[in-house]
Amino acid sequence: MPTRAVLPPARWKRRFLILVALTVVLPATIVIWLLGRFGGDSPVDYADPVEHFKYGSTGGEHEMGFPYWIWRALPEVCGHLLPGKGYPSIGMLYEKNPDGSLKDLPVGTSKRRYQGVDRVFVNCAVCHTSTVRAAPDTPPLLVSGMPAALFNMKQFEEFFFNCAADPKFAQEYLIPEIQRQGVGLDLLDRYLVYPLAIGIMRDRVLALKGRFEWVYRQKDWGPGRVDTFNSAKVIFNFPMDHLDPREFDAPADFPSIWLQRPRREPRAMELHWDGNNTDMTERNKSAAFGTGTTPPTIDLARIKRVEDWILDAEPPAFTSLFPVDAALAARGAPIYKEYCAACHGASGRDFSGDRVGRVTPLAEIGTDRRRLDSYTYTLAVNQATLYAGYPWRFTQFHKTNGYANMPLDGIWLRGPYLHNGSVPSLRDLLEPAARRPAVFWRGYDVLDPVKVGFVSDQPEAGGRKFFRFDTSQPGNGNGGHEGRAYGTELSAADKAALVEFLKTF
Amino acid sequence: MDAQTKDSGHVQSRRAWRRFGLLVLILLLAAGAYLGWERGFREQPQPAWVFESAESRFKYGSIGAEHDAGVPYWIFYVLPRVFPEKFRQDGRIAPGGYAALGVAWEEGQELPVGFTKKTIGFPRVANNCAACHTTTYRLSADAKPVFVTAGAGHTVNIQNFFRLLIDCAKDPRFDADILMAEINRVTRLDIIDSLLYRFLVIPITKKRLLEREAQFAWLYRQDFPDWGRGRDDAMNLTKYFMIRAPMDDTFGPTDIPAIWNLGKFHWDKGHRLNYAGDSHDARSVVIDSALGVLGAAPADKADFLEQVQWLQDYLTRKQPPKFPLPVDASRAAAGKPLFDAHCAACHASARTGTRIPLAEVGTDRGRLDSWNKGAAIQANQTVAAMGITRRGLVEDDLEGYRIPFLDGLWLRAPYLHNGSVPTLRDLLEPAAKRPTVFWRGYDLLDPVKVGFVTDGDEARRVGTRMDTGEKGGGKQGHEFGTGLSAADKDALVEYLKTL
Repeated sequence: MPTRAVLPPARWKRRFLILVALTVVLPATIVIWLLGRFGGDSPVDYADPVEHFKYGSTGGEHEMGFPYWIWRALPEVCGHLLPGKGYPSIGMLYEKNPDGSLKDLPVGTSKRRYQGVDRVFVNCAVCHTSTVRAAPDTPPLLVSGMPAALFNMKQFEEFFFNCAADPKFAQEYLIPEIQRQGVGLDLLDRYLVYPLAIGIMRDRVLALKGRFEWVYRQKDWGPGRVDTFNSAKVIFNFPMDHLDPREFDAPADFPSIWLQRPRREPRAMELHWDGNNTDMTERNKSAAFGTGTTPPTIDLARIKRVEDWILDAEPPAFTSLFPVDAALAARGAPIYKEYCAACHGASGRDFSGDRVGRVTPLAEIGTDRRRLDSYTYTLAVNQATLYAGYPWRFTQFHKTNGYANMPLDGIWLRGPYLHNGSVPSLRDLLEPAARRPAVFWRGYDVLDPVKVGFVSDQPEAGGRKFFRFDTSQPGNGNGGHEGRAYGTELSAADKAALVEFLKTF
Repeated sequence: MDAQTKDSGHVQSRRAWRRFGLLVLILLLAAGAYLGWERGFREQPQPAWVFESAESRFKYGSIGAEHDAGVPYWIFYVLPRVFPEKFRQDGRIAPGGYAALGVAWEEGQELPVGFTKKTIGFPRVANNCAACHTTTYRLSADAKPVFVTAGAGHTVNIQNFFRLLIDCAKDPRFDADILMAEINRVTRLDIIDSLLYRFLVIPITKKRLLEREAQFAWLYRQDFPDWGRGRDDAMNLTKYFMIRAPMDDTFGPTDIPAIWNLGKFHWDKGHRLNYAGDSHDARSVVIDSALGVLGAAPADKADFLEQVQWLQDYLTRKQPPKFPLPVDASRAAAGKPLFDAHCAACHASARTGTRIPLAEVGTDRGRLDSWNKGAAIQANQTVAAMGITRRGLVEDDLEGYRIPFLDGLWLRAPYLHNGSVPTLRDLLEPAAKRPTVFWRGYDLLDPVKVGFVTDGDEARRVGTRMDTGEKGGGKQGHEFGTGLSAADKDALVEYLKTL
């Protein structure tokens, strides 16, 4: 039997250590590094509730998030697909840093590092924050919680789908643009993560394009509006081409979302324009689908912070920009009480009234019916499957036959008026439909303090083109909410007094 | 320590190690078996709300169909999202997911009426009787539907539901990658359930659905019209599904019937059930129909028979609703003698519930031809082999249709066994003057002619087209009272509202 040379223990030990290093320590180090680099799921957080509302995460970045640097590069690479320069051209708002420079993300977007990439997507504020100005030459006042009257959501969606389908959506164009913006992408990002992310993102956006194709065939919504419940049908991948055509072209104004508590207590109001749900948490989760969340990826803890804030958040007073004629307003108070209070609440803070937050049948209110028809019984029952398997599965969505009477808190910031934003000012709303403006322009943030509503008689100002709103287009009808009971037969003096009183809301 | 003890110490410790290893292996196997049972087979009771009332139990209570006919919940959930183009009606794509199939679906409910969710290892969806036997109706176009359990499911398109499941399973996109991607968008399965779904549940479901294809071949025949909403080729379903008979050329679609007030049937008075009086008594029909829903012998026979007993009790007690609008009392009173003179001899007499020869009534014979004595004998044997005793199907050549009781008649449109006449008023016209083409399955009540609205934009959009010239759809026969004056017919219809 041949004898083998016996190695000295020291060499055994060395071999053992090398072996351990190769099989355990090295892989473990790599795994730990990879976990650190690509594990993690950390949103950017803000301690202040308003900052959180504007820039905090709803969790939508998990599923829909754009890699941060792609988000930054797209308006440059696909600039030809935007109406103007950058995201501001579709109505997104950039605040300034203390040093006067613009923030890197617009209001209504949030950032989260997930799977090793910083991702960006929209949050609640993108549709519920806007600016207002007293005059063209005064600085804008940013108001969190007011309808995003400047944000053009249809253009926003179309921009991403068009850009993803554009030949320029490729690393040859995107990576140089990212580097031009002065970013030192590390080697891994430069050669692996971002090239991969570009491909993945293009595939994802294009895969969704089929589900959003219907949007292209809709009449323009213009700024400040969204076709909410046709968008909701996309969640279920309804074959949109085969829907009843009467369901389409149903854009409605973004609502204000301040002062939610009195909408819930003492009595739960019928929420959404057609009052299809009385459960605020369901309404909120439903809206959160619009920020890219899905049941498994929604960030409930962070949404809760927004929910808590909007319970008691208050609209700014009209007097923060303009004076109110107290005597005239006092004359308007009894008129309001007689004509408006039963449906719209005792005041801008007291929402008591028999019919407040309840649905008025369409036959009675007579406003444009498309938004109502866009919400079908079929959709309502399908919505009851959302969040299946979770204790908060939706159970309260229901079909109605009219529009809900809304409280008027901060009404001066909520123009244009009616659910479809078809009447530019409060004063116009007090005219019979035939005498309301048939055509006007949306998308300006300068307020008309007399008629109360945004200035709407100019097609452009300060180099910015506005959206021509044609009330004869489907979904845009400005009829209804008229007749003696609605105050459209009051004298001009009474109407002026009533409008003055509404400024105090 | 000498060498021997050292050796035996080695042996001992080796044995101990071996024993320990064996124990670990057994424990692992046991844990695996438990996990497999827990996630694959463990039956959990449905939540308490299902049993809150007899109504809710009838609508959402499991009758045990989840064992064999059940579709895994998350597959069922994502099918409309993955395969929206397969939800069809009259050859057109019908948007709205399962709602597009005309199921009765209450707001706020996770599943339509008649769809049951039960966890047997993993949540599964199956059906119960209410899927077909719940009526929805509305009194105005913008009103909410009213749901009437045990009524005729005149809106549900069950042929397309059967086809849908098979069509989805046949599609190459019915695979684990695509379905899991969609499932992960709506829920977070834990690692075990994810693996189970990916490697077992999805492939097995696909295989089992595909196995149905051969039995359901007649659902795809180009030479037969679609059943449309509210109809069911029931006896062929029994032939091909329960007794596995070879396919023949018969086609006998019939209206899904109302099944309330079963107490009116008395076997000893010669009353029979099903359209041709094919079955002896209510219990037999409940058993045979429930077996049809189960699609196999019951997993737990005692439980099954208890369910059957409960259903029979419920349906015996359940009464049809009254006509929901005012009835013109004086006109109805004028209609009563007309009813006595022209209808009562069959519909309110000892003949009611017994068979009338086809030669006498003259209605479409398709349904009669779809069943035969041999099939009855075989079906009875099949059920007997399951150890279930019942009076069962009539083992005889049946040449005629059972004369129906008229309780709740106003809510049982369209009329005749094959649903070929849209309203009661139309039925009082001679066959030549009855509508030839109309749309079934729109749930707006026509309170004048008594039936549902069967034409107009909404009826055409929602409903399925019924052509009475097509196989099994003949509107001829039952030309009784058709010679009355228009005023008399109106009075008679007014009286019929009171039944």
